[in-house]
Parts: sequence; structure tokens; C-alpha cells
Amino acid sequence: MEQFNVYIPVENTLDQCLKCNICTSVCPVAAVTDLFPGPKYTAPQAGRFRHPGEPTADISVDYCSGCRVCNQACPTGVKIAEMNARARAAIVQQGKVPLLRRIRNNIIARSETVGKVGQPIAPLANFVLNLRPARWLAEAVLGIGRQAPLPRFAKECFTTWFAHHTPQNKSISDVVYFHGCSSEYFEPHVGRAAIRVLERNGFRVIVPRQNCCGLPLLSNGEFPAARAYHSRNVAYLREYASAGIPIVGTSTSCTLTLKEEASDLLDMHDPDARRVSEQTFDINEFLLNALANGQLQPGEYPISLDLIYHAPCQYRAHRLGYPALEILKLIPGLSVNNSRADCCGIAGTYGIKVEKFHIAMAVGKSLFEQVKETGAPLAICDSETCRWHIAKATGVPCVHPIELLAVSYGFEPEGSLKTVLAQ
Amino acid sequence: MKKIETEVLVIGGGATGTGVARDLAMRGFNTVLVEKGDLTHGTTGRYHGLLHSGARYVVKDPQAALECIQENVILRKIMPQCIEDTGGFFVLTEWDDPDYAEKFFSACQTTGIPVEEISVSQMLKEEPLLNPKIRRCFRVPDASADSFFGAELNAESARQHGAEILNYHQVMHLIPEAKRPDHQMSSSPSPQRVAGALCHDLVRDEQVAILADLTINAAGAWVGQIAQTIGFNIPIIGGKGTMLAVNHRIVNTVINRCKMPSDGDILVPVHTVAVIGTTDVPVQDPDRYSIEPWEVRLCLEEGEKLIPGFKYMRMLRAWAGVRPLYKETESTGTRDITRAFVLLDHAERDGVEALVSITSGKWTTYRKMAEATVDLACRKLNVQRPCKTHEEVLPSREGHIAYYQLGHRLREIEREKAYGKIICECELATRQDIEQSILQGKARSLDDIRRKVRLGMGPCQGGFCTYRAIGILHEIATQNIPPVSHERPWMPDPNLALRDFLQERWKGLLPVLWGQQLRQERFNQFIYLYLLNADQLPGPRRSLISPTNYALAEGGQAQSAPEYSLESIKSSGDIPISHATPVDVLVVGAGLAGLVAAWQLARRDRQVRVVAKGWGSNHWGTGCIDILGKHPTNQDHFVKNPGEALLRLTRTEPLHPYSLAGLEAIENAIQDFLSLCLDAGYPFKGSLGSNWLLPTALGVPRQTCLAPETMTAGDLRNNDPMLILGLEGYHDFYPTLIADNLATQGFQAKGVLISLPSLKKRNFINPTILAELFDSQAIIEELCLAAKSHLKGAKRVGVPAVLGLRHARVNQQQMEAMLGLPVFEIPALPPSIPGIRLHNLLADTIHSLHSSIHNGAAASGAIYSSNRVKAITTLAAQRNLLHAAEAFVLATGGILGGGFTTSYTGYAHDTVLGLSLQISPEQTSWHNLEFIHPEGHPVHRAGFDVDRSFRLLSHRGNTRLENVYAIGSALGHYDGIPERSFEGVALVSGHFIGSRI
Repeated sequence: MEQFNVYIPVENTLDQCLKCNICTSVCPVAAVTDLFPGPKYTAPQAGRFRHPGEPTADISVDYCSGCRVCNQACPTGVKIAEMNARARAAIVQQGKVPLLRRIRNNIIARSETVGKVGQPIAPLANFVLNLRPARWLAEAVLGIGRQAPLPRFAKECFTTWFAHHTPQNKSISDVVYFHGCSSEYFEPHVGRAAIRVLERNGFRVIVPRQNCCGLPLLSNGEFPAARAYHSRNVAYLREYASAGIPIVGTSTSCTLTLKEEASDLLDMHDPDARRVSEQTFDINEFLLNALANGQLQPGEYPISLDLIYHAPCQYRAHRLGYPALEILKLIPGLSVNNSRADCCGIAGTYGIKVEKFHIAMAVGKSLFEQVKETGAPLAICDSETCRWHIAKATGVPCVHPIELLAVSYGFEPEGSLKTVLAQ
Repeated sequence: MKKIETEVLVIGGGATGTGVARDLAMRGFNTVLVEKGDLTHGTTGRYHGLLHSGARYVVKDPQAALECIQENVILRKIMPQCIEDTGGFFVLTEWDDPDYAEKFFSACQTTGIPVEEISVSQMLKEEPLLNPKIRRCFRVPDASADSFFGAELNAESARQHGAEILNYHQVMHLIPEAKRPDHQMSSSPSPQRVAGALCHDLVRDEQVAILADLTINAAGAWVGQIAQTIGFNIPIIGGKGTMLAVNHRIVNTVINRCKMPSDGDILVPVHTVAVIGTTDVPVQDPDRYSIEPWEVRLCLEEGEKLIPGFKYMRMLRAWAGVRPLYKETESTGTRDITRAFVLLDHAERDGVEALVSITSGKWTTYRKMAEATVDLACRKLNVQRPCKTHEEVLPSREGHIAYYQLGHRLREIEREKAYGKIICECELATRQDIEQSILQGKARSLDDIRRKVRLGMGPCQGGFCTYRAIGILHEIATQNIPPVSHERPWMPDPNLALRDFLQERWKGLLPVLWGQQLRQERFNQFIYLYLLNADQLPGPRRSLISPTNYALAEGGQAQSAPEYSLESIKSSGDIPISHATPVDVLVVGAGLAGLVAAWQLARRDRQVRVVAKGWGSNHWGTGCIDILGKHPTNQDHFVKNPGEALLRLTRTEPLHPYSLAGLEAIENAIQDFLSLCLDAGYPFKGSLGSNWLLPTALGVPRQTCLAPETMTAGDLRNNDPMLILGLEGYHDFYPTLIADNLATQGFQAKGVLISLPSLKKRNFINPTILAELFDSQAIIEELCLAAKSHLKGAKRVGVPAVLGLRHARVNQQQMEAMLGLPVFEIPALPPSIPGIRLHNLLADTIHSLHSSIHNGAAASGAIYSSNRVKAITTLAAQRNLLHAAEAFVLATGGILGGGFTTSYTGYAHDTVLGLSLQISPEQTSWHNLEFIHPEGHPVHRAGFDVDRSFRLLSHRGNTRLENVYAIGSALGHYDGIPERSFEGVALVSGHFIGSRI
């Protein structure tokens, strides 16, 4: 009998390819640089020439940003981005990446380590990272683009705040919050907004022990390290998953990794890993489900602004459409335009690298123009690296949708949202 | 008549013949070889790709096994570039006799075949797809071999030693000669001596007599036919073997079943595919045999034993070759006849002097066969010259000589950043590869090029590279590039070369056309029979060297398709879901039909959402709207007045979607569409009163009803002379080919290839990049300046359809101002820039009406009760997304769009709801034998049955799903490609639905 929607290992999906070129025609990277021959070439085509026992043939695959626009446009279901990611891991594993570059990749890919080192000395770290000479040096020695958007370390970790936080509402059910490195070390205010919204809607939030989801390591082909991170997360989260407690995150990259990317790329399909995947939700997705069950409070206080929303490419990889837009509709007075741009260009750690920064800027160019043209005081985006990139490139501050909902619930805004609303 | 005199004539250009020619030439004989097709045209070119270690025969035929291992070692030394050192496994499955394994192991050791048992877990580490229930595994030195390359190198070596190799020289008959007077008269009635052969040069269509002191009949399965020409018999049985290629290398080691040799028990990785085979069926005539469905089934089932899930994998192609087996005594099946080779001295056997025949044997021992043959030749010619073929390495183009490696071509392209030079993308064959095979390799057809550089051997089976290759062929033929050899170069007719190659590919696809490969072929039909109109190419349809089809197969297994019923709907019941906001109407599919439906629905303030697995055929098409180009049942006439033709159609084809919608609906759809495009700044022109006649990228006219103004200046109903411009480095457009073909048909056209410095410095060029260059104003001036000098005599200028995605009209007008002439674009191979413009126009409109399009959303099932569907789910990360709606529109595109899928069992179903489709389960009835056929292929007329509201019906016209509709190519009772109504039905049915539900 037929096998509907049966799981096919990543490389075997190249059999689906019709060579139709739709993927190449939508690839934001191939459109702006000659160094990347396009998704069709690097995945289903080169895939037929890759032999596990032979040295890696192709280096051009490293220019794939992992944005997955190709996956979404492919009419036959070739897992293009995943194939590229695995090919890149082979390159790394065979030692084809020059040493200094590999050191750099490992530095920027270990956001948790960077956070642990930098956050305790946040004022100093932030000062140094903004110093021109320091950035020049970082670019010259390590290859970290001197104009690349780097975040600021937060004054206080999210978990520190959470440890002293008492919920104000009665709770009906439990939910686990996966904060990820961004909420923990750089933008705890996003985590706070999420907690407040969840608690207002009757959820008791648990923040268990957790570490980096490992996505930057996956994107840089450092698979053994990524596997270690993901395994630990599975170990920390599995009892909650087994108990049916949903695991919710505000960082779309973290939730995508927990849901699917780690297991697809690393071939981790043991029962514990699967249970964690099945219980992971993006926060907008989670809230929309609550709405469908009649359990979500609409926004109370209006935010009368005309804003622009950009769905991160990794968000569309969740294949949920635009749940953020649906959630934002709950805020009275708010009008939101969908940018419909495919990718802002940063693609996680990709655009931070000196050899790829110009690609990141070229890819995001039309989005940046759009943001500036609308004259909106704020842009909205679910992914942290996208927010930093858009804000730096356009000068327009960028917030997570949950921050707006929290304000509409009556909570005090923080950070750039506070500045904008005060005007 | 042309005459050639030589010492030894070799008949047959397979492994044996070329091996013999090389050996002869190396031993100093004047040698001529004739082959009726291209080298390896016979059995050698259709074989499994296996360099035997001998282990396969070690129990059954130890002598053969010993020969194999000895030659294995020699061939690795003299032709490593033809061999990939894959190694081989012999695996003992649950279907195999464990005792055999023991016999096997000790016999290998006795015979001297290196053998090593490895653990099953080690086997699975190396080959993870193998059946984990395999019990034992033995490693042996099998390898994979490229027989085309091998024969070519042998021929090259023969040439280097002075031989002459004549392809496309068919032996008409051996030349008999009476015995010389001083010899005894023989009692045999047959002629006493062979003086050579009379040949037909198929390319030049002239006769050539070749006279030789000795003739060697190395014609493989055809040795008997050769002997018959002078009246005696060689009892040769043909043992036909069928093989299938899997689309990619699912294993990197040769996998054999550890058992007595039988059908379908070897899987060989060869280049980029894996080949499963083979069968063994007696045939009388080595030129007439078929590929039977049961053989294909057998290969699939046997493959499934080795690799679970094999049956569902994409099969790329099937082919069959005929083994020559010499039948001296009676035996049961052809497999029982010994495979040792057969060398016949006809002087002893039949009283015929100066003729020997060499046949049977296997590829692995070809060199030894040649050695024995040439030793005999030496004796017959009374000379003593030793064989050296086992010592001298075959010639190589590269510096060092080493085993073939799979990643070799990829490495080369990466090293040279030659991304922009690739012509056959599937197999990474570059422009240089193809030019060389034409100029130096003397390719007579695209099939010859294929044998040299693997053109068309990948997943798309010539979908893109066929067009590009004939474009290159045409450029070479008309550019007087000096040939490498002294002989006058004969250039194949590009139009005929295209037809022939498409047919040649088709013949091997027919036996495996289901699933993804069927979808691929439909895409290829879309390109050649819809975009390019290749069926209208001028010139002859066949030549002496056109391919011959396999004979008709006997028929498939009768199996009734399950009835279409609600119970078979894929239920999404138990799968975890997240919720999408409910809408009024959910449209599944983002091709033209889906987007038009959504646009109309949104206009009427209905809450609508489009979900699609990916983008649709807008991205592939011409960007025009074809309403009707040919009447469905009157294939010879093109439609000049679609309105009239539609009137006739609605009377003769009541179930056709146009008939269901009605003429008024067609008019309304067209009017609304024209208004939409005008408002969007991208106006279309046309009406039901007449079709445009626009040129395709093959230089053939095509009918279309509504065309964007960026194309209409190319109308061939007026004969203003046109200049066609191509861009060097852009491989999907050949201006001189287009112009020449147009000129042949009476249109005035000239073609010119422009070289632009800004394009030259790029690593690669594709339509998207070109469109962006136009949109950003980076290239228009440069192009117009370069074109200026060629404008004389032209009244209009044609360019490839890349005038821009966002500002096509403005860019066109700018060019027209600079050139002072009307400019028109000509659609070429996908991705289609005009098609993407249309997609963007509709998508932007839909978004401006506050509806949304989700791509990456593959439908996975439905929730339903009684006759209504309540929701459709789409695949999301780790769960399904639930889309509740009042009504659902299936705009899923049929086989091309992925809305329907088929399997090797002959079963076909829709991929959204899982409903079975009414298609004959006999796959042999799905397609015509000719790829280019005026009626198209019957399988594509299958689709949903709908009522006059386009609501789904069952076959019997009753059970309906109240709130599910189907539009576009998902509909049955028509085929948009042969009747040229592809976009028209999409537009009309989408508009109809969108205006009503």
C-alpha cells in the first residue's frame, strides 16, 4: 500500500527533484553573489556526486545561508537546506576549513559560552565590542565583520530575574519556557514579556535547566558539538515532555532546532528526542492554539501604530504560515503590514562573518528599503539575529511580537519599545 | 563505390570488437573496424556495469570464475580510468541457502579470489540502506566499470597504433570469393572464402566495400546474422537481460546475493546511479525484443530484498541488452549455457576461409577473448606476434591515470568555478565536453554525445540538456570551426537530433513511468511540447540512424483500482495539530488556477488562504494564456480563432472543463484578467477572436490567445524581418538556431550572439540574474549598443524573455527607444521570468486584498464528516497545521503539479485527500510509443470528475463531497498540453470557482 508522507532520510529526498530551477530562482544568496551556484546545484545535483569515502568535492556549499527559502518553494519536497547543512558538516569534518576561520566559527557559534563570559562583565564587554579598533582587530584576525550587528549583553540574566519573580495570576496548567541564549544573555525583556503573557492566560511557567539549542553549531557544520548540546537539552526537558507539558520558546531558531532541525541533521530519533520535539511550540503558535480553544485573552490597551512585520526565514521553516500576524491582530489599534521579504540576510551567524557580510547586506537590501519607506517607528520580527541586523541596517528599532502583546495586556514596555511608545 | 583494402577487418564495435582491433593494431596489422551504430551500440552499451571478481561463478562455473579474477587484475592495471574500485559484497539474505555461503567461501579461496567475511554491523556501517536482516556478508574485489569509456579507449588505442574505426557502417553482407584454383574444392555449398564485407555508410548513405585478408566477426549477438549473409549458420541464442537504474547511488559497493546466480540478484553502483538486474529471457532476433512489465516487477522485488523500500524509490530508466549465447548442445534455460567465450574458425567448422567469429563471454573477459582471437588470426595469417594488450595502459586524456572516482567531475567544476559552463546539469557535462565530442569525437547524434559525456543520463533524462545540446550543435555547424580530423565533418541536423534523442530517452523511460519519473517526464513534455513546440520542428522526422523502439510489451498485470470512496480519504485524525485561523475558503495549490481562484474570492471579500507545497507551473510556463491551440480531436489543425473552436468544443466534448464552465464564463475570465493586468502596469493583449502566433525558443510558431505586450511585437502573422539577439554565457537561448528554423518556415529572421563584458566576468548566468540586471538598469544600454551594428534590415528585435521581473514594460520601452525598433521577448527554458511576473502580479493582488499565501505547506490529509470536509491539514515542523474552512478548492495540478501521484503498482491517487483516480492499472496503456505524439499521452487525461459547479464527483457520478472543488490540471477529461489550453483551463476554472463559492 502507498506510503503517505513517510519519513525519507534527508539525502534520499534528492530523488524528488525535477531539476525545475524554481529553487535557484528564489534563492536570495544566488541572486546576489557569484560564489554560490544555487540550491539546485549544491543539493540535489551535487548530492549525486558525493561519496562518503571520498574527500569533499565542493566548497561552494558553505555559502548557503540556510534560509530555507528554497525548501518552501520546491514543489516536490527536496530537503535542500538540510542537504547543504550536512554537506557543510562533511567539509568541516574533513578539515577543509582554514584554522583561523574555524576558530572564529566556533567562537560565534557558541553563543552560550560567549554569554557566560560576556554577561558578567556586560558594561565592559559592550564597550569593547563597540570600539572601532577592537572591531577592526576582530575582523583582521578572526574574520568577524567589523560592521556586523553584534548584540549588547544584558545587565542581568533572564534566569536571574526569573528566580526572583512571583507570578501574579492563578494558573490552570503548566508550560515550560525555553529562553535560549538571546533571552538569557542579551534580551531578557523578551523573556519577561513572554512570561507575563503566559501567566496572564493562566499558565504556570517553569524554566528548567537548559543550554544552548546548538543551532549556530549546526549551521557551522560542527555536528559533534551540536549533538552534545542537543542531547543535554533532551535530558533536561524529557520529563516535562513525557508529562505532556508544552515547551514554548520565543526564539524561532531555538524552537525550530528543538522541533526538527537537530533531529533531521543529526539523525537523532530516539524516543526521548522525539517526545521533546513533539512538545515544542513557537510562542505565537502556542497562543493561537489557546485562542482556538477559547483560552486566550485579547489585548486590552490599544497600540495605535502602523508597523511592519518581517517573518524570519527560519520562522517560515516552521511551516505555520504567519501566526505572529494573527496574534498581533488581537491588539486593538495596531495595524501591521507583512514585509513578504524572503530573508533579511543575517541567517544567524552567517552574516557576521567578514566574507559573507556583504552578501547579508545585499540579500536584505530590499527589506531594509521597505522598512525605511514605510516610516514605521518599529519593525517586528520573531528572531533575535534578524532584529539586530534590521535595526543596525535601517536605524529602525526592532521588537518581538510578544513584547507588543505584553504592553497591550498592560505591562510596562522595556527597551526600544519603551522609547518609541513614550513618543 | 568507395573501396578500402586492409589486412584484417573487424565487424562489431563492442568491447570484443574494439579489444580485437586494439590487439591487432598493436601487433602491427593493418586493421579496419566497422560498427553499424556508435561504438557499444549493441550489448556492450547495455550492460550492468560490473567488473566481476569471479565470485558470482565460483561455485557454478569455476573455470569462468578463474578467468574473471585473472582479467579483473589485468583490467585494473590497463584501464583504471574506466573502473571505480567500489569493492563488492556477497550477502546472505533470509531467502538464500546458508549452505551455499560455506561452499562459496571455500570455492573463492580455492580459485584464488580474495574473500573476507565482515560482520553485518560493519556492512551496515558501510552501506546503511542494506537490509538489516542480512545474515552474513563477504567482501570481494568486484568493481564497477564504464563500458562506453572502455570501448572508446580501446578504439583510441587502436587508432594510435594505426587502425581505422568506422562507426555507422552497417555490414550488408560478407563478400564471398571462390577458392583459389590451387586449393582443393570443398564439398560445402557455401562460398569458400570471405574477401571482406560490403558496408552501408549510414551517415553519408553510400556503399563502401572493405577488402581484407582476414575477417573477424565480432558482432556479438549478431554473429549469426553476419554468417547468414553468405548462407551458413551460427547457432546463437539471444539471452535478453533487462536492468533498471535507480535515480541515485543508493549503494557505493556492488551488492550480490550469495546464492546460485539467477535473476535480479546484483545491484551495481555505476557513476551516479545504481543498476539492479538482470533477467534472462530467450529471444530470436537481437533487434526485436521488449521490456516486459514482469521483468520490471522482478527487478523491483529482488531489489526490495536487498534494500527495504527499494520498490518505492525513483527508478530512472530501464534498458535491455541481448547476450549472445552459443548453443552447441541442448539445455534447459539460457542461463545454463556456459558463459565461456566461443571462438570459431570457420575454415574448420564450415569450410569457409578467412573468417573467424568470436562471441559470447562477458565484458570482464573481453581482453582475453580478443587475445585468443588475435592469436588465431596470427596463426591463420602465418605470423607470430605476441600479445601486449595486458601490459600497455590505455590512453588517457588526463596526466595521471587512476581509478575513476564519483566526485571527480564535481571537484573539477568546483576547482575551475565552471558553474556557468554546465550544459547537462544532472551529470555535470560542460560545454567544452560537448563541443569536444562533436568536433573530435565525431558524434553523429546526441546519443553518441551521451555515451561520451553522459549527456541526458541524469534524473531529468535530457529535459534541459537536449535543447542546449542542439543549440550548441547548430552553432558549431554554422560557425565553420576547423575540424580536428582531416575528414569533412558531417554535422547532424539539429532538429532531427532533438527528435531522435527525445525518442531515444523515451524508449527507456516507458517501462518505469510512474511516481517521480512520470512527473519528470510530464515536465519534459511541458518543456518540449508546450514551451518549445518541438513537434512542429521543420525537417525530416527520421533518418537511417534514428533510434528504434523496443517491441511492444505483452501487457501489465491486471489489477482493479480501488473505488473512489470517502473511506479512503487520508485522515489527519490522530496526528498532533496546531491551529491556523479558520477561513471561508482554503485553496490548495499556488499555480495559475489556485491564484486566480484566490484573487476572485478575495475580491468578493471572502476570507481565503492559499496553501501550497511549493510554487507552481507559473514558474515554468510561457507567461502567456493559451486558451485553445489545437482542437482536442482534430489534431492536424491549429486553431486560428479560439472563439469558434470553443463553440465546436463545447458541442463535441461535454465533459471538458470549458464545456462545464460555458462560453460566457470564459469571456468573463478573460475580461477580468485583462483588466487586472492592465491595472497592474503589465498589460496583456488578445481576444477570443484570434490567436497570436509567437516564436518559441526553437524557432517554431506557437498559438496563444493572451500575450503580454512584452511579447506581441513578435507576432509571426506579419512577416517583418526580425533580428534575434542571444547573450553569450546564457545557455538557454540560441538565436541562430531560432532564426534558421524560422527562415526555413518562410519567416524573415537573422540571429546574432552578443558578448557582453559585464556578463563575461560572472561565474554563471541564469534568467533570474539577467532579469535583475535589466530591472536595475545595469545592462540595457550595454546590450543596445552592442546590438546596434546588427540592426540593418531588421524591423523588430527579439530577445530572451528576461526583460525584468519588476519593470519589464519600462525596460522594454527603454530598449525600443534606444534601438528605434519594436522589441519582443521569447520565452525559454524554466524558470520563466514572464511566468514569475504573472505569479507575482497575482500574489501581490491577493495580499493587497488581505489574504495570504503559504508555501512550504504540503497538504497531508483532511478531517471530514458525512459529505463535508471540515478541515485540511498541512505539514508543519513536527506536526500538522489545521486549516478549517467552509469550502476547499483543489488546484493541485495533476501529475505535473504533484496533485496526483502514481506508483509501480499502477495505482494512482490524489495527494491531498488520498482519493483514488480513475486510471487504467495497465501502465502500458498510459503512454504512446512515440514521445512526440499529436494526441499526447492518455494518462494525463485522468483527473477529478466534477459537476457543473466543479464540485468533486465519483466515477459513477454520484457520491460527492459537498464542499470540495477541483480546478485546473487536476481536472480530468482533457490534456492541456497537446490541445494547448494549459493556462486557459486554469484561468477559466479558477475564475469560475472564485466568482461563485
